[in-house]
Amino acid sequence: MLKKRPIYVTHGGELMLKVENLHVEVENREILRGVDLEIKPGEFHVVMGPNGSGKSTLALTIAGHPKYRVTGGRILFNGENINELSPDERAKQGILLAFQVPPEVEGVKIIEFLQQVLVELKGIDPVEAYDLIVKKAEELWFREEDLHRYVNVGFSGGERKRLELLQAVLVEPKLLILDEPDSGVDVDSLSVISRKIEELHKKGTAILLITHYGRILEHIDNQDIKTHVMKDGRIVKTGGGELIEKIDKEGFAEIFEEVGE
Amino acid sequence: MTETITIKDAKAIIENQIEELAKRNREPEWMTRIRYKALKAFEKAPHRDPVISEEELLQFIAKPEVEGVPEHIESLDDLPPEMKALLDRLGISEVEQKYIAGLAVQTDTGVIYNEFLKEWAKKGLIVLPTEEAVRRYPDLVREHFLRLFRVDESKLTAYHTAVWNGGIFLYVKEGLKVPFPLHLFFLIQESALAQAPHIIIIAEKNTEFHLIEGCTAPILLKHSLHLDMTEAYFHENAKGQLTVLQNWPEYVHTRPMTRAKIGKGARFINTTVTLGSGKSNIGDPRYWVDENGYVELNGILLGQKDFYVDLGGRMYLQGKGASGINASKAVIMDESTVITRGIIQAEAEKTKGHISCDALLLSDKATMETYPGLISKVDDAQLSHEAAIGKIREEELFYLMSRGLDEEKATQLIVKGFLEPMLRDIPMEFLVEIRKIIELAVSGGM
Repeated sequence: MLKKRPIYVTHGGELMLKVENLHVEVENREILRGVDLEIKPGEFHVVMGPNGSGKSTLALTIAGHPKYRVTGGRILFNGENINELSPDERAKQGILLAFQVPPEVEGVKIIEFLQQVLVELKGIDPVEAYDLIVKKAEELWFREEDLHRYVNVGFSGGERKRLELLQAVLVEPKLLILDEPDSGVDVDSLSVISRKIEELHKKGTAILLITHYGRILEHIDNQDIKTHVMKDGRIVKTGGGELIEKIDKEGFAEIFEEVGE
Repeated sequence: MTETITIKDAKAIIENQIEELAKRNREPEWMTRIRYKALKAFEKAPHRDPVISEEELLQFIAKPEVEGVPEHIESLDDLPPEMKALLDRLGISEVEQKYIAGLAVQTDTGVIYNEFLKEWAKKGLIVLPTEEAVRRYPDLVREHFLRLFRVDESKLTAYHTAVWNGGIFLYVKEGLKVPFPLHLFFLIQESALAQAPHIIIIAEKNTEFHLIEGCTAPILLKHSLHLDMTEAYFHENAKGQLTVLQNWPEYVHTRPMTRAKIGKGARFINTTVTLGSGKSNIGDPRYWVDENGYVELNGILLGQKDFYVDLGGRMYLQGKGASGINASKAVIMDESTVITRGIIQAEAEKTKGHISCDALLLSDKATMETYPGLISKVDDAQLSHEAAIGKIREEELFYLMSRGLDEEKATQLIVKGFLEPMLRDIPMEFLVEIRKIIELAVSGGM
């Protein structure tokens, strides 16, 4: 029998995630070329940057995608080097990645999948999990009968992203990495996703959000936000929430010029 | 060293067995004559099995039982410990375990005589061991016995016909709709005889039924060759389902022979779930489909160890508007080989046929081949096929693992999901077991 056990350890004001001089290769091509990033528990970080600058690579590497090979530097989570950990071990440490394009999993019903996720990550038994899932699903506009569909199969962009958020809401990870939760999403879905991100943030989940637009942040207090701008596999500028407005208005060109890139 | 068995030796052995069966079954003469006719055909009939040589077949006839399998199983405690452990892990009830061990069937044919079925017998549902049906309904059996096969098609058909024993006779009276699935086991464990059950299904006009045969757990067989023959007759608008569940021990060769005649507007869904790691399984069922009739052949297969599986399936769409689907989903592991070669032949106007073959390869040493055959003898038939053979997608595996499922659990989930859409007609109690067996197979624990 599975025992309930606390999975997450809190570390006060210490660093939760520390990415040190991270170099990553995909299929023998270097994508990240020395990324440094520090996130404390409960913080809200936004990563912006042009296509191909390495944002998704950073997200997938932290989550442990086997195709993304760390060739230099390290990733520390709560002080532990997680470079060698498998994706499930990282999830158990409290890292959750909401995918940019979550894949279809044929034949696997959402409800059964989520029940198993809650068993694995929170030690909640499947019967108890069922009610919790149905309740939370409703908040993300999934009816009970929707939960008997197969995971992401035939889903619209908005449905896929809402299902990613549902998982985040159920798991309440220590660190939630959101890879463009606003891309390919209808306006109404965007609003519910944005509110759920805010809710999780308020409950203490640290957020690392990758986006192209500030719109998703309409519910988040600007003062709380740390913004990083990526270019060619590096973070070239870090600032507060005001950076997002600046990029929304002027694009990246001026920032890159300022930092001499 | 095994001594050489000649055709003559084999014929003498078969003849003895025919005499024994005729006596034991108090068989009418016409049945014994059919057996002798088959014996005569045995010598000249061709043998074209790709796995079992003629020599091996003759050896088998001389000595059908496998060495090392416990001779007398009187209680579950007599089962080999590894099998007992597996049954426990699968969480199979003791009653069912007994069937699996071959205990209940031999000593307790009561399974098909229970009160429940007695009530239905009054309404016109006959379920009997085939031997008994031969005695009690001779005309009905005679009219349908070996009408869809010829004894001299092959040595295996001839041998089966000569020594058939066991099996089920199912008759559904006109208009009768049986609302519950009939679940039957029929294992005969007499070592001296070949395991060759003969199944006859007769569904009269406007009937409905669902017959489930076999079980999902591995069966302790004393024979290394299993030769079953099924003949099904669907009259006008009969709707029937035959679900075959099998999980063979790794030393067993199976040669299922299934044929069905599907009448006007009749529907036949023939699903086979093969979960084991047998030695080989070669089947080529045939279906003749009349006007607006429909046949669906579903194959669900978990290929393990060095299991060699060759699945055919020929559908002759003979009446206007007849249609057929031959679909298979295979999970191929270890060093197993799976070949599918369905054929659909359109012989009448407005007929439709579709062949689909999906395979998930879990090992580099496993092999999958598919050869769909579509033959049209008319202008306006719609025939199509599709095939997809692939491995588990890295993205899917990573997605599930990033949700805290380790590689084994994520793989189990993907494999179960892959087979799931084809298991929709399987009753829940079997589904639970099937899923557990898949999980165990994926973790290499079978």
